[in-house]
Amino acid sequence: MIKIENVTKMYGQTVAVDNISFEVNKGEILGFLGPNGAGKTTTMRIITGYFPPTDGNVFVEGYSILNDPLEVKRRIGYVPENPSMYNDMKVYDYLRFIGAIKGVSKANLSRSIEKTVALCSMKTVLGRQIGQLSKGFQQRVALGQALINDPSVLVLDEPTSGLDPKQIHEIRQLIKSMAGERTIILSTHILPEVSMTCSKVVIINEGVIVAVDSTENIGRNLERSHQIELSAEGSTEKIVQTISRIPGVNRVEHSGNRYTVDVEMGTDVRAEIAKSVVNSGFGLLELKTRSLSLEDVFLRLVTEEEGA
Amino acid sequence: MRNIAEIYKREIKFYFSTPIAYVVMVIFTTIFGFLYFRNLTYYSELSYQLMQNPYYAQSVDLILGVFAPLFNSNSIILLMVIPPISMRLFAEEKKSRTIELLFTYPVKDIQVVMGKWLAAVTIILLMLLLTAPAPFLAFGFAESAEWGPVLAGYLGLFLMGVSFLSLGILISALAENQIVAIIISYGALLGFWFLGWVIDPDSGKQIGKVLGELSIIGHLTNFIKGVINTRDLTYYLLFIFTSMFLTLRVLESKRWRG
Repeated sequence: MIKIENVTKMYGQTVAVDNISFEVNKGEILGFLGPNGAGKTTTMRIITGYFPPTDGNVFVEGYSILNDPLEVKRRIGYVPENPSMYNDMKVYDYLRFIGAIKGVSKANLSRSIEKTVALCSMKTVLGRQIGQLSKGFQQRVALGQALINDPSVLVLDEPTSGLDPKQIHEIRQLIKSMAGERTIILSTHILPEVSMTCSKVVIINEGVIVAVDSTENIGRNLERSHQIELSAEGSTEKIVQTISRIPGVNRVEHSGNRYTVDVEMGTDVRAEIAKSVVNSGFGLLELKTRSLSLEDVFLRLVTEEEGA
Repeated sequence: MRNIAEIYKREIKFYFSTPIAYVVMVIFTTIFGFLYFRNLTYYSELSYQLMQNPYYAQSVDLILGVFAPLFNSNSIILLMVIPPISMRLFAEEKKSRTIELLFTYPVKDIQVVMGKWLAAVTIILLMLLLTAPAPFLAFGFAESAEWGPVLAGYLGLFLMGVSFLSLGILISALAENQIVAIIISYGALLGFWFLGWVIDPDSGKQIGKVLGELSIIGHLTNFIKGVINTRDLTYYLLFIFTSMFLTLRVLESKRWRG
């Protein structure tokens, strides 16, 4: 559906995006995750044809952004971060203008507007100037201009930034409700947004892709490999010693009677730890693998990348 | 075609939903009207005196007496009122970042440029049309109406106005905000204006001749006299075409650089 192929973008001598490749299948919601300045917006601008890549290519439904930019643009609805629209225009006029520009036939224009207005629930503001609307409604209008020609792909750059919690919830519901029929790429640095809405995650940092996986997998893989938490009664020093001796354990930290054990990738030493703690005469109160939130995964990937 | 029409309509609506178009038209027509009135009174007094002498009476000419100086003075007024029309066309889209969405729509750059250009040309056309009562009034008192030279003068003013506009659009595409755009526009237009004055074209020096040919005001002279010369026509059309072509290249290059 969407194929990003070895895309590089340079701003003068600065590399903004460095040879990234990934694919998004039809109907997927892809979360494009990264800290500010990682290259998310640059990538999205390349996909939407705002500017061409320095190297590489992007294909949308088989059309290349370099050779058939108009065909690609016809298939994409784009909501930039803090979208700037023509503030002097009234919502209805604006949607009509954008619809016409995007090639909605005159006969279908009224119907398209009606449909979009209903979908984004903005009937009450149709006659008002865009510049006078609240941020939440402006975001709806921005979404509306993206949806007006019923595109098969939606590219949303931080669609919930700057909204209040209620508006964030509504926009997320709206995005989620569109999954399946549309392919969506959604960039964000808000991690819960990804776990809540996306089926697949691409993590980007300093212009390089750090991880690509399904939202569930990306957490699970790291969860399996990394940390075990336990609490035990007894001399902390001795407990640390006992656990450290177990093969596969890298490091043990403690605070009070709670211990965090870093374990080697691919090993499961929970049983071993339980056995040696109990056998050494300490009281094992609790033992569990620490489930990593997406936030932990993200931080870990990003910091590992920086350390490398 | 539809895209050009849609962009054209939006720009026209914008001009009339803000004070720009009104202010510009009022200023232009007021000054035009004032100069016209002054020229006409002066001319009527003068012609009255000249009529006393049958020899001089032959040289009484409404075109040379009223319209030629009128068009000449108004060329400088055009220079002042056109940059406010052109300055916003791209600079504002860049400043308010609306250009980001515009460039992700399935529209070609040339359609965007044409739509905006045509809208601004319409404003110039309207502005000139508003002055149309002037020749009607003048010819109302004349025995024989000489429409040809007046129309040629209007054509000259129109072409010069559109040339100003096209250079203004190019500068608007280059500049990051409207203030910078308008200041550079005035500078560049005055530059083209004064080009002919740097070295006297009649001094015999080749460079003086070349600069004289490049001067934007020099080519208006014939039009005002009622002469439509291919050389002048070509100059203005080439000036407009080159500016528009460069505007397209500027937009493209800005995009490649991100």
